[in-house]
Amino acid sequence: MSWETERLEKAKQIIEMYPQKRSALGPLLYLAQDKDGYISNESIVEISGLIGITEVQVQSVASFYSMYKQEPTGKYLLSVCKSISCEISNSSDVINSVKNFTGLSNNETDDENFFTYESVECIGACGGAPAIQINYETVEGLTPDKAVDLCKWLKEEEPEIVVADELQDKFGGVKSFDWAIADNNGATSPVPGFQTYDTSKEKK
Amino acid sequence: MNEKVTFTVDGKQLEGKQGQLLIEACEDSGIHIPRFCWHKRLDPVGMCRMCLVEIDTPRGKALVPSCTTQVSEELIVETESDTVKKAQEGVLEFLLINHPLDCPICDKAGECPLQDQTMAYGPGESRFIEEKRHFEKPIPVSDIVLLDRERCILCARCTRFSDEISGDPLIEFIQRGNKTQVNTFPDEPFKSYFSGNTVQICPVGALTATSYRFKARPWDLKKVSSTCNCCSLGCSVELNVSQNKMLRILGEDNEFTNQGWLSDKGRYNFEYLHSENRLLNIHSRENEDYQTINISDAIEKIKNKIKDLDNPDIKFIIGANSTNEEYFAINKFANSLNRNEFLSKDKSNVYFADDHIYNGYFSEEYTSATFEDLDNSDAIVVWAEDIKDNLPVLFLRIKKAVKNGVKLVVFGHTNTALESLADLYLGAEIVSNNFELKTSLSNIQELKDIIDSKKVTTIIGKSTPLQKKDSLDTLINHLQKVSDLKVFNCFSKANTFGAIQHIDQIKGLNEFCTEYENSNKNIVFTIGANPVNSSFFGSKIKNLLEDTDYVISLDIFKNETTELADLILPTTAFGEKEGTITNMEMRVMKQNKILPDPGSTLSEWEYLIMIAQSLGKDINYDSVNDLNSELASQFTMTEALPTFDNLNKPSNLFGILNQKEINLNIRDIDQDSSSLLMVKRLYGDSSTQINSPSISMLGSERFIELSEFTLDKYGIKSNVATLTQGSSSIFVNIKLNNLLPDNLVLAPINRRGFEKLDSTKDFDLKETKNMKDLSVN
Ligand code: SF4
Ligand code: FES
Ligand code: FES
Repeated sequence: MSWETERLEKAKQIIEMYPQKRSALGPLLYLAQDKDGYISNESIVEISGLIGITEVQVQSVASFYSMYKQEPTGKYLLSVCKSISCEISNSSDVINSVKNFTGLSNNETDDENFFTYESVECIGACGGAPAIQINYETVEGLTPDKAVDLCKWLKEEEPEIVVADELQDKFGGVKSFDWAIADNNGATSPVPGFQTYDTSKEKK
Repeated sequence: MNEKVTFTVDGKQLEGKQGQLLIEACEDSGIHIPRFCWHKRLDPVGMCRMCLVEIDTPRGKALVPSCTTQVSEELIVETESDTVKKAQEGVLEFLLINHPLDCPICDKAGECPLQDQTMAYGPGESRFIEEKRHFEKPIPVSDIVLLDRERCILCARCTRFSDEISGDPLIEFIQRGNKTQVNTFPDEPFKSYFSGNTVQICPVGALTATSYRFKARPWDLKKVSSTCNCCSLGCSVELNVSQNKMLRILGEDNEFTNQGWLSDKGRYNFEYLHSENRLLNIHSRENEDYQTINISDAIEKIKNKIKDLDNPDIKFIIGANSTNEEYFAINKFANSLNRNEFLSKDKSNVYFADDHIYNGYFSEEYTSATFEDLDNSDAIVVWAEDIKDNLPVLFLRIKKAVKNGVKLVVFGHTNTALESLADLYLGAEIVSNNFELKTSLSNIQELKDIIDSKKVTTIIGKSTPLQKKDSLDTLINHLQKVSDLKVFNCFSKANTFGAIQHIDQIKGLNEFCTEYENSNKNIVFTIGANPVNSSFFGSKIKNLLEDTDYVISLDIFKNETTELADLILPTTAFGEKEGTITNMEMRVMKQNKILPDPGSTLSEWEYLIMIAQSLGKDINYDSVNDLNSELASQFTMTEALPTFDNLNKPSNLFGILNQKEINLNIRDIDQDSSSLLMVKRLYGDSSTQINSPSISMLGSERFIELSEFTLDKYGIKSNVATLTQGSSSIFVNIKLNNLLPDNLVLAPINRRGFEKLDSTKDFDLKETKNMKDLSVN
């Protein structure tokens, strides 16, 4: 299915931001992911037409980066950091607790399409290790129990949009540093919220 | 740019050019550095690390890839130090981790850089005991190329070729890490006119061609260099033969012409040589049927025919696939039978079977161009047949020149494939549907900016047979006036330039029809020509041949013309004969024989000389060498005479430029073009292609091209339609091409189903509703 007018409009705005059309590929892939929850072949065809490169060139980039999903994910994408800072702060316990609670192993989605679990490399929150991301919204200073609480809360509340600040207040511990400005922009799975590219969602 | 630098490699002082890559500079001085990803004709990527060398840096010795390091003054390089050796072993060990080592069943084994370099530089044993990566073996990436991803070492030669050189990047790396693989997008195959080049440059057996898979071992192949005759570019090739069968054609890197590349047509159009449909015996029509007769009876028959008719009117229709030596013999023979031979050269009796040729621009007024001039010009101006389809490797040369900053101007409606490369595309606003220039060229400011007082090379020829020479005159006169001009006469077929160099005067089929109509219609020789099928005058010629007393056809396959013949003489083909051919630069190049003459075939010249001798003519040549040395001696402006001896010298391996007086006498076709523009595509239903199973399907798609406006005019919404003209109609796929002017429909001339269409008549186009109709046809 080709893109709806609004998305195409947005795509055109993004393309105009770059001196060469093909440079817009990265952000356009976020638009694609925002549409279907993953990069569908239809979207690849669409993007290829929009920026004048071949489909396989689009696919080459889309399949290189692990944050461009090649398959649909659940409503909540749980990314637990397994890199070194988190590892020495016992991230393996967090990983185990999340895995146990969800019953998922790496890169798996449950039957209800609710949770997708993945363990990932450093997410830039070393100062607040161990850390997790829900739909790419970061929560720092986690404990294994808090991580399970977080998952339970998601099950019960099913928030449409997840917002980092809110999750941090409810489930997080010590943060790396404080931006001091409350951010109401969150994300839906599995698209990082970028205001510039119009993929962030505001929680009212 | 060309400043010399001195540097040291393994203790030896070497010279290189400033900016040159180390690996290349070493190669030039005879030091070979192993490599997988680097290829002289591609941009360097530093992908495989096989070319690591040690250089001195201010911080001590460092390992660097020599394919991405430029030589500089006083650079000190080690290519064989212990560190380098260790690095090479390491790189190979890594490369072999996932490589399946299935050499015993791999086509590349024996000529595989991975195999060879592992032997020469590898660690000798493996420490890897884990399971290797697995992929489905092999997957098709196109109709003619297969990919075994397990063997791939990710050098990116194939992907860079498709991106940088041929400009159709339909293969790319997808996934990453351990899963990285070359692949195509689903349902978007690697449909490229040049895909075979990737098979040739793949340093392992990952890419293979359907036509060669499991056919031979490289050490069993007999090899000879030759020159391709699929178009008039003259690509240098190597013919590979095993057990008297042509199995493969490879591109040779001829700096002047193809620079290593070939089109898939040139590369894979050879299986026909061994087709069971080849003509192998002499056929003589007795009453209604053909009978096989032997050569002496055949010569006797011709002799008697000519004697009986007492001073008969004899005409020759020739094609483009003969060698220079054969044209030379045809010329001698034709002259000896020409009743007007002593009157004037205007009374030639030789007619060339390609409606695209016209009088051209050959006189001393015009400086003729070479392919090197494309790179050295400021601008290239094209107004000709579709270059990509008719001279595919010339398209690559143009693309390369443009990449290096040469400006490109394209006229007309037949070169839309060049539009994306062009700085200035002068289509519908400037050129009418009947190929007339609508505006004075001096009024076009953008054109002025590009060509005025600049070095310009033009590729000029008729876009279709119906284009009038006047329009081209206007362009060339303008270019001549405002720029420093060099000219390519764009005759695209095989050895057309050999024909026009060696035949005193060539006329067209137009002249044949008018002159022959008023003659006695005694005898016609058709030599490698099928005018009935391929010409605007086809049906007229058919009638004329039917009215002819005796038609003698020399050919390799039966076709629409040989069907009308009274005597069919089977001839040798590419690879079965030795000779020279002349390309569009007037470069004379060698074709070599590597296959025996099949059946009772003979070369065209052998037949003609036998006939001449039976008639008591004083034409005596015992071998093709005799013909060659005599024709070579007739060249005037020349660096060296293009004799076999000279051409076989290594220094002349890639041809010798030659000039000779040219005399063409061809009128325009007296007919305006209609809204149906018929153009020749690379693939079609030529008898050579349909008898080559590996590529026969490539020309099967029936499609027409037209703009959205035209599509709307006919009210077509789907992408299939029915094209009707008179009583014939065909189903066609629709390809949108908005560069085409309004009301113009482009159709391929050389496809099955299109042969009944007449480009001068009206036609109708209707949407096809019922898809079932399609499958029936
Ligand atoms: S298929 Fe061959 S040419 Fe292409 S990347 Fe792999 S090894 Fe290199
Ligand atoms: S190591 Fe986990 S956030 Fe950096
Ligand atoms: S040849 Fe230099 S890195 Fe591959």
